[in-house]
Amino acid sequence: MNQEPPETTTPGQERNPTMVSVKDVSKTYAGAGATEALRNVSIEVREGEFLVILGPSGAGKSTLMRCINRLVEPTSGSIIVDGREVTSRRRELRAVRRQVGMVFQQFNLVKRLSVLMNVLSGRLAYHTLWRSLIYSFNKEDKRIAIECLARVNMEHKTFQRADTLSGGEQQRVAIARALAQQPKVILADEPVASLDPKIARQVLTYLKQIAGELGITVLCNLHQVEYAREYAERVVGLSRGAVVFDGPSGKLTDDILQQIYYRDSEAGDDDDV
Amino acid sequence: MLVERKKWRLHHIVYLAAGIGFLAWCADGTNLRPTELASGIPKIAKYFALMVPPKWSFAEIVWKPAIETVYIAVWGNVLASLIGLPLGVLAARNITRLASVRFVAKSTLNLLRSISELIWAIFFVAAVGLGPFPGAVALGMNYAGILGRLYAEAMENIDPGPVEALQATGAGRIQVILFAIFPQVLPQFVTYMLYWFEVGVRSATVLGMVGAGGIGFELVTTIKLFEFRETAVILLVIFGMVTIIDYASTLIRSRIY
Amino acid sequence: MTMTFERDVAATLQMEAAHRQRRFAKGLGWGGLTVAVLWFTADQIGMNPLALIKGADHMWDFLTRMFPPDLSYIFFLGRATVETVQIAVWGTLLAVVFSIPLSLLAARNTTPLVMLPWFTETWQRLSLHLLVFHLTRLLLNMLRGINELIFALIFVSAVGLGPFAGVLAIALHATGMLAKFCGEEIEGVDQGQIEAVQATGASKMQVILFAVIPQVIPAFISYSIFRFDVSIRSATVLGLVGAGGLGFSLIKTMKLFKYYETATCILVIFLLVAGADWICSKWRAKVI
Repeated sequence: MNQEPPETTTPGQERNPTMVSVKDVSKTYAGAGATEALRNVSIEVREGEFLVILGPSGAGKSTLMRCINRLVEPTSGSIIVDGREVTSRRRELRAVRRQVGMVFQQFNLVKRLSVLMNVLSGRLAYHTLWRSLIYSFNKEDKRIAIECLARVNMEHKTFQRADTLSGGEQQRVAIARALAQQPKVILADEPVASLDPKIARQVLTYLKQIAGELGITVLCNLHQVEYAREYAERVVGLSRGAVVFDGPSGKLTDDILQQIYYRDSEAGDDDDV
Repeated sequence: MLVERKKWRLHHIVYLAAGIGFLAWCADGTNLRPTELASGIPKIAKYFALMVPPKWSFAEIVWKPAIETVYIAVWGNVLASLIGLPLGVLAARNITRLASVRFVAKSTLNLLRSISELIWAIFFVAAVGLGPFPGAVALGMNYAGILGRLYAEAMENIDPGPVEALQATGAGRIQVILFAIFPQVLPQFVTYMLYWFEVGVRSATVLGMVGAGGIGFELVTTIKLFEFRETAVILLVIFGMVTIIDYASTLIRSRIY
Repeated sequence: MTMTFERDVAATLQMEAAHRQRRFAKGLGWGGLTVAVLWFTADQIGMNPLALIKGADHMWDFLTRMFPPDLSYIFFLGRATVETVQIAVWGTLLAVVFSIPLSLLAARNTTPLVMLPWFTETWQRLSLHLLVFHLTRLLLNMLRGINELIFALIFVSAVGLGPFAGVLAIALHATGMLAKFCGEEIEGVDQGQIEAVQATGASKMQVILFAVIPQVIPAFISYSIFRFDVSIRSATVLGLVGAGGLGFSLIKTMKLFKYYETATCILVIFLLVAGADWICSKWRAKVI
């Protein structure tokens, strides 16, 4: 199902092949409200691209990300990551997930474990179960983990417990954990929503550096326009589960923002789904 | 306020009458009558009065079974965790997806829990003969049910964020349990183990009544022989032992987190 | 990458090795200690897995003699089942009644302070003005530490066989549990509410009535219900020492080698305990 990438809107990325391709993905959450979180979303993301998905809370940004690594099962549509179709079959899914790192709003570190152990847990998918049973990692894993920590300047906290770190530090460790997977794609779901502006910019800078230096494709959910303008090369605007804009951040006009944010004022207060 | 009260008054009277009637019926069924109390309490008081002064020299004989009681509790709890943990994992909603497996695990835990350690002890004494070993196994069976359920509940109540994070890295199911769930629940597990060890020592003091080792055997013997002053010593030894373990375990528990 | 980056990584890796060695040594120490303790205790109590395997045919024999349970015996167990519940009801109720005053005495912030003339500063520093508190706690610890079966055994030999001894035994043990728990709850009440009531010029008794008790009532009720659940479980075995309830039927049928009936007893006990557990957890959820 690998088709040639269509005409790109991002200058300077023409030669890179498509890394993530989302085709006609819809997701309806079953239950009382039966909310339609995603409606026929299609996005193509190229290798090494730093893409910001912009939208208010409840626009379906988190759902879109979770569909890409199948933490959420889409109702319809297909997703291809690095030429491989994402399925829910366990073995293949694990292989895809290994290539896709994820960074969360709430960091999601295991608080009682050391920073190193948290980063090392990003290596688990490379391991057999037997090795994990005794909580053992080989030297190569440790070297990778510490390198990843050094990349976000956190190697000096390697042996501390994760709950002794500040929010920004925890998020950097979480980025290191995603990097330790040696992924091709990193999904960052509102990575700075729980951080204050100064720390938020720091974290976004690290994420952008990763995309640039390591050639990792980064998809980053944001709800703040100013960060999107500052950091994004390309922005996808999501509103009520549908793509309403796809283009370079320079083209984010007030009209378009109006469309993303104020088309439906009720959606603004909902929690992200 | 007053008007509202009046509206409910009839209901109240009916409920109250039913409650009192139920309690009276229960009291009647258990021979709990004022006359019984009036004659019984002095008898009990007299019984306790006969215990003074305790025959201290008897302590030389009972310290050994007293320590054996603690050993029984130690192994009872070790066995309980060994049996209870896997069952707890199978019974936890966020770990085991198959509802049928969860149901079987939960039912097993319920069965283990509902049958008192004394009944288990009777069973195991019948199987392997008198002694502390069947006592420890019996305690293990009963407490496996209790601890297993507590473990399952602790695991169900963890922060799901790290679990999701590790699933997203492509880690397998057991790896997620080992790296995201166990580290989170470990302090709670240790707290439960210590607390139920305390309770276990108290339970183990009566296992001897059915021949399953520990100080209970000496206790029954002295009571049956009306050796009041010896009984007093045993009660004091039990009390001292339980108190020491209480303090020790509280101290350790306060340091875990 | 730059030189410093490589150097940092190498240095941290080395530190990791040192850390690991230290952790390994520590783990080995504690692990060794644990194994030694378990080994020693196992030896002392004659832990012998082989005996269980060897005893398997005994167990099997026991089980086959229990199956199929004689379900018609259920009709004879009605009285004993009712009695078990009745024992638990009154045992818990008496414990609730006893523990209301006792828990107030067993909390540092509500216990009456006894100041005897010779209580100088040193005595106070030893917190002996909390005399009532310490004595109450000692009593409660005794009640808590001694299993209800032991009480039952003593009471049976003092007042004779029957459920009466069982009620008293459960009442005493549950009082110890309930009053200690409640005393700790009282010590943990929100100080702000107390100050608010004190600020109105209320007396100490009024503070207890209007600021302390309302705060602990939900926890007290919830714990009392839990205690009732535990009491039912205890009441099923009190009969083993002759203090009434299902345990008596259990031991009686066993002594007469009527194992089919014993199995029925166990079945009824299981249903009763599981039922009480279910009802009490629903009830507690409703109260909280």
